[in-house]
Amino acid sequence: MRVISSDTVWIVCPAFNEERTIAGVLTRLIAYGYRVVVVDDGSRDRTRQIAEGLADAVVSHPVNLGQGAALATGIAFALAQGADTIVTFDSDGQHRASDIARLIATLKSTRSDYALGSRFLAGQQRVPLLRRLLLRAATIFTAFTTGLRLTDTHNGLRAFTRRGAAALDLRQDRMAHASEILSEVARSGLPYVEVPVTIDYTEYSLAKGQRASDAVMILLDLFARKLHR
Amino acid sequence: MIVQLVLSVLLGAVLLHGWTQLRRSPLVAWLSLTAATGGLYLVWAPAHTTEIAGMLGIGRGADLIMYLWVCISLNLLLSLHLKLLRQQETITRLARHVALANAFVRTNDVRGAAPPTVPRLQGDARRSMRMRGHTA
Repeated sequence: MRVISSDTVWIVCPAFNEERTIAGVLTRLIAYGYRVVVVDDGSRDRTRQIAEGLADAVVSHPVNLGQGAALATGIAFALAQGADTIVTFDSDGQHRASDIARLIATLKSTRSDYALGSRFLAGQQRVPLLRRLLLRAATIFTAFTTGLRLTDTHNGLRAFTRRGAAALDLRQDRMAHASEILSEVARSGLPYVEVPVTIDYTEYSLAKGQRASDAVMILLDLFARKLHR
Repeated sequence: MIVQLVLSVLLGAVLLHGWTQLRRSPLVAWLSLTAATGGLYLVWAPAHTTEIAGMLGIGRGADLIMYLWVCISLNLLLSLHLKLLRQQETITRLARHVALANAFVRTNDVRGAAPPTVPRLQGDARRSMRMRGHTA
């Protein structure tokens, strides 16, 4: 595979009990020459041990905090390493390493600070119906609450410039973090762009993904966060 | 009279609680203050209870008192939930500090790893951290 990245690009992979997929994900990312930090979110399986054998860095939460907290930890680590570009990438194997180059290239060509992956811009047809409806509702909610006009609001593949990443104040530890990131993007006022990416659905990734009932908890978390400083 | 005094002390405690939450949770605080003030008024002017209940379409003064107490209880539950959220944030900051301090960083990578840099945390945890380096 072509090595395309420089040392200033860091990929942040949050991982919780991903021993089945983490090795494959890291192998593909490393083959592209990216620097990878895995944030092990208190896994009870061999995720951390596998990651330490492959990744450039592994940051391990002593207890499970949630994917939002893991992303914030990884971003803090990458910023401290001097990253110019930070990419968030799920560890369940649903993202394609080949899409990262397009995200970074778009980030630079459009002089944006946030490049947000969208499975729908790529014309992806094989999105399960329930998930498609849920994602559609989420885009309407996001447009209503943040003013951002997006086609895919819950895509874990994103790229940030250093300035963009530093502007994010992430406090949602768990499921509401995706909505919070978009809310922070809107609050920052920095330019953003959507980029077509492909999601590879597997039984494994679908089982680990969010369910319709999670939407209620996300709304409650977002509401509760508004009530206190 | 005794019941009025006991209720006044309890509602006074709710008032104090609301006052302490004004900066952190303004909405919860104002709900507490409003409900407790209304409660105090009704405790010391019970004759008005039925009249106000009638104006609000509730009917009985006793029902109005009960509804008000339910509102206060729900508000206190919400306040407790927000307190738990704040504690969770503290735990997250602490766990992040520990995780970054003990980060595994490959220091002798053929791909030229950047030397491990000590992250700095926001808030109370502005201290340098040590990282354990591993050789590839």
